[in-house]
Amino acid sequence: MNEEAYNVALKSALTEIKNVCPDMGRSFILMNNGTLIAGDEQNADPSVERAMSSLQDLAEKAASIGGLNDFLIEAEDGKVYVSRINNMYFITALSKKTDLTYLRTVTGVILPTIIKVLDSISLEATPPTPLRPAPRFPSTPLKSTPHKPLTEEEAVEETVEEAVEEVEAPTPLEAQETEEEVEPESPKPITNLPSQQLIVDKFGGLMVRSDTVQIDSEVLQRWGSLLDVKEIREIDVETFNGKTARCKAKVISDQKLEGRGLIRIPEKTCDTLEVKRGELVRVKPVVPEQESD
Amino acid sequence: MPIKKKAPQIGTPEQVEWAPKIEVKEQLADLRSVLEQIKAREGVIGYILRAETSASVDINDPTKIIDYAVLSASVLESGEGLLEAFGLNKVCSIVAIGENLKVLLLTIGEHRVSVFMEKNVDHDSICKELL
Repeated sequence: MNEEAYNVALKSALTEIKNVCPDMGRSFILMNNGTLIAGDEQNADPSVERAMSSLQDLAEKAASIGGLNDFLIEAEDGKVYVSRINNMYFITALSKKTDLTYLRTVTGVILPTIIKVLDSISLEATPPTPLRPAPRFPSTPLKSTPHKPLTEEEAVEETVEEAVEEVEAPTPLEAQETEEEVEPESPKPITNLPSQQLIVDKFGGLMVRSDTVQIDSEVLQRWGSLLDVKEIREIDVETFNGKTARCKAKVISDQKLEGRGLIRIPEKTCDTLEVKRGELVRVKPVVPEQESD
Repeated sequence: MPIKKKAPQIGTPEQVEWAPKIEVKEQLADLRSVLEQIKAREGVIGYILRAETSASVDINDPTKIIDYAVLSASVLESGEGLLEAFGLNKVCSIVAIGENLKVLLLTIGEHRVSVFMEKNVDHDSICKELL
């Protein structure tokens, strides 16, 4: 499912929750990939972004109490309530007199339901898995227009098209034919490389090589399988400002950080790319020439 | 007649100009005794009491002290960050609840108290007792 449509749905959910709980102030949803969704007519200013980054840090350090499920800060002028829903955090400012039980009930029902529906839609629209016999790329670029915001209607159409493609997947015989047809063209360079958006996590140290980034082993394996290569040694990192860097890829060394959709980039490279911790970057594998032949 | 010089005296904390420290010390002693009582409650795992220059830690499992101290600092930092982002005032209390445990963090005067407990413990009553 298109990320933009996902965000729009969650944004609407925040607005609806605010309608039900008028005591609610600004509210946000911090998604597991680091994306911050703000409620209606709200902006995530730098102080909010800093707070979210600090919240992510806390969530990591809260392993000693079994993760961070609920977080309530009572202040002199109000309170802030943070609640984990699936893998996301719902964050809202509240007045002092807010009935927290009521808010918990409302958010505990609305948000999980919406997320469940969105997840089920996105599962249906998942692109082909690496279980296919040979790497096969869709004729239309998978994520060729990520910057262009899609309307909800367009997003739904896209989802439906993808679903139809899956339903009409070739039979084994057809698949063989497709393979035979594809084989002569294999020397051609692969143009539609898989790409993935990952959250930047900085790391540094004396022995850290600035040309080597760390990403999930699962991502590297998936790409290796998709591209039919033994190992992905290099990747291209592209920021949303258009800056790119080619780096060597290694598996994330810290097990706690695995499976979180992170890319750990050395500080120097972060500075070169002008990216900060928590920002999103697009990552593509670089296909080794010998192996792709 | 030569004037006899007075030998310089080393001032004890009680005699120095920052005399309010006496009150802080008393407050600290009170807090410790309250915390000891709280610690004796069922389900309370321990506490960390931090002043500007000192800290008292009493945690059932000593191997967890560092984890809890780091968590306590992160909870406060994150809480203050969120309050700043939402334009709210100073922290009164913070509760962070995990899958197994929860931590209550209070700022009492110069002191920062973190009480770690099991999820089913009533942290509101602890909060009232401390404030």
